[in-house]
Amino acid sequence: MPTRIKLHDGEFSLAEDPFTHVTDDEDLVRGDLIISLTRFQSEGERLLAEGRSVGVRLEPAEEVEVLAYDLPRLALVAVAFPKFNDGRAYTAARLLRERYGFKGEVRAVGDVLREQAGFMVRVGFDAFEPADGSTPEQWAHTAHRQRHVYQRAADRRPPAFAERE
Amino acid sequence: MYQYDTLDKEFLADRAAEFREQVGRRLAGEITEDQFKPIRLMNGLYLQLHAYMLRVAIPYGSLNPAQLRVLADIGRTYDKGYGHFTTRQNLQFHWIKLADTPDILDRLAAVDMHAIQTSGNCIRNTTADPYSGATVEEVDDPRVWSEAIRQWSSLHPEFSFLPRKFKIAITGAAKDRTAAKVHDIGLMMRRGRDGTLGFEVIVGGGLGRTPFVGPTIKEFLPANRLVSYLEAVLRVYNRHGRRDNKYKARIKILVSALGAEEFGRQVEEEWAKIGPEGDLPDTEIARIRGAFAPLAFDSLVNRSEAFETAKAADPALARFARNNLREHKRAGYTIIEISLKAIGETPGDATSDQMDVIADLAERYGQGDIRVTHEQNIVLPHVKLDDVPAVHAALAAVGLATPNVNLITDMIACPGLDYCALANARAIPIAQDIARTFADQDRAELIGELKIKISGCINACGHHHVGHIGILGVDKKGEEFYQLTLGGSGAEDAAVGSMLGPALPADRVAPAIDTLVEVYLRERQGQERFLDTFRRTGVVPFKEAVYADAN
Amino acid sequence: MKALTGNRLTDGEVVFWKAGAWVERFADAELFADAEAGEAAEAHAKSQQTVIVDPYLIDLIESEGLWAPVSYRERLRALGPTNHLHHGKQAEGGAAIEALQHASGAARSKGRVNLIKR
Repeated sequence: MPTRIKLHDGEFSLAEDPFTHVTDDEDLVRGDLIISLTRFQSEGERLLAEGRSVGVRLEPAEEVEVLAYDLPRLALVAVAFPKFNDGRAYTAARLLRERYGFKGEVRAVGDVLREQAGFMVRVGFDAFEPADGSTPEQWAHTAHRQRHVYQRAADRRPPAFAERE
Repeated sequence: MYQYDTLDKEFLADRAAEFREQVGRRLAGEITEDQFKPIRLMNGLYLQLHAYMLRVAIPYGSLNPAQLRVLADIGRTYDKGYGHFTTRQNLQFHWIKLADTPDILDRLAAVDMHAIQTSGNCIRNTTADPYSGATVEEVDDPRVWSEAIRQWSSLHPEFSFLPRKFKIAITGAAKDRTAAKVHDIGLMMRRGRDGTLGFEVIVGGGLGRTPFVGPTIKEFLPANRLVSYLEAVLRVYNRHGRRDNKYKARIKILVSALGAEEFGRQVEEEWAKIGPEGDLPDTEIARIRGAFAPLAFDSLVNRSEAFETAKAADPALARFARNNLREHKRAGYTIIEISLKAIGETPGDATSDQMDVIADLAERYGQGDIRVTHEQNIVLPHVKLDDVPAVHAALAAVGLATPNVNLITDMIACPGLDYCALANARAIPIAQDIARTFADQDRAELIGELKIKISGCINACGHHHVGHIGILGVDKKGEEFYQLTLGGSGAEDAAVGSMLGPALPADRVAPAIDTLVEVYLRERQGQERFLDTFRRTGVVPFKEAVYADAN
Repeated sequence: MKALTGNRLTDGEVVFWKAGAWVERFADAELFADAEAGEAAEAHAKSQQTVIVDPYLIDLIESEGLWAPVSYRERLRALGPTNHLHHGKQAEGGAAIEALQHASGAARSKGRVNLIKR
């Protein structure tokens, strides 16, 4: 079974991935699926009724607000980085966590590089499909690099001003 | 000045350690240049024509003597004995070795300095009024709010990969010395009718290919709501700014496409959702404000006999006093602006030895406070009038007493094709040519305030669009040509200049400026500045004279 | 005629290709009369990720009996900045430097465009 890096209780580990990515022009397979927003809108209802866990892959131009109604039924949202520097994914993840209180997995997919680990963890990603072959140890190292942070974000780390109090 | 606590210091140390590791990985071949480039840019390290260039942030243009000495020493140890102050209150070293940069960042971190976010598509160093805390014109000290922004924006997890770079400026006075209206966000401090502090918020100004004077999207933002409001602006931009074309990716394009009203509405909507939870607690603002507590000023009268006597005896001092001093809010004190525009030198360059002298003077006469201006000068904001003669003499001894602040020879210029990988033409030699043409100080004073700004390419680091006279270097079939614009301003009366006519070859630029000045002197009425005369007469007399000459 | 140039990874120094190695002086650069030979060297250089950054070929013209880069920008790279004549390679002086300083006539450098695009 394929794997992805999972962040749980502050620990990064390689965990088996029960989900299969299915693109719009592929046939559906059995089991838990990650499908596009378009496909979810047409077939999601049926897949959920079949008792599967369903995840939606959100592309940068797709607004997270569209998912607001369905979030409680989704097991995960895969937020896509077509390029590592497409920063819209950070806003999407943060809104999922902070504004919609999404408790499922928020997975970084696409051009996912370990240099970005610190930022990704802070906005609420808890699963990663690295494109650079990086390991959970490397992700842990990078994500914990800064002992302090200056701003509130989705990870609930106390910002500097709270630490100072 | 703001004092870094353990937290701030550890933040910088961690960041420097990370970069050391990344440089090690690059040198070992574990990461490619394509992977490394965004990493080094996030730490202000560019590869320019002759070497690496390291851009060090000078947060809101504020330095203490220890910091300036370290900059001087880095210049001496790792560069060629100098540094270049930029048009955004930063300092660039132009001859840096990649292998040395981890050590340099450690040296900087030891005095609470860094190069974080001096490049890349992130929130850059905030520009603030270099006269903060000193000028009589001030509503509130913008450094307090700049420091709050420094912290909020540093390694911001959501806003480190914006569509394009993002620059904020804050002015605490009605007089704008930050070019706020041509920043991505310009904040102008205001006091509400009830006495509360706030900002007029201008969004979507900018230079480059598509220059705009930014529109006001909020007349009065309560100061304690600043951070959440910035977060809302940045979020709207991060989500909706264009990413398909880097030349259309700045926020000005989004604001202009949506219209200021609609953009403002979207920000308000997002801001309401974020709510006051997104703001800094008042206790933190108070803590930061405490760090900028008023200095211990002596009670003095607003006239120094010693200074008056010295001026009467020394015409050079009198001239320096006329041009380089500004009114201080405390009686008996003055603001000294040190020009880095000695005639024939490179605008913005200071040698390590000069930096050391300025650090010494700040310590001895200036309450340990030093500022840099976006016009590439240095300021000692708190000097007793009694001490001006001594400061002037010490500056003169190292070539720093050029009495030309705001005069025609106080030009700003980007590094241009002499250093920059993006440039199309040189900027510095043009500035040198013009300075020599107007070396006569009497004539320069007769001409009065005239701001010439020179850029070596359309990216406009030399702010040419907002020069009273702007000069843009262009590449015409491999030859350097220069496009003149007139009537721009980066101050509170901000305006984008209009093009004078066809571009001129390099050797025609200084004579053309001379012609423009002659037209101004002929046309001006009363106390009009060049800009005022131009605005009254329009371009015609200027254009006729320059192109009649050129024919 | 062409030469192959780039910036050295460790220090950013402007360097030129010479028979599989990199030299600091333009005067020492290998000259390629043959386009294929130049392109082969460029391909080889691009594989030297830990040595060189962004190698590219530049066009040359004759100047005072020697060769000089066609583009003004490349001549500046080979010489140093014109505002500090004691900085950069030009500080050394000599006939080869003067030939570069006196070279004129120019076209856009293809290399530069590539650099910007990166």
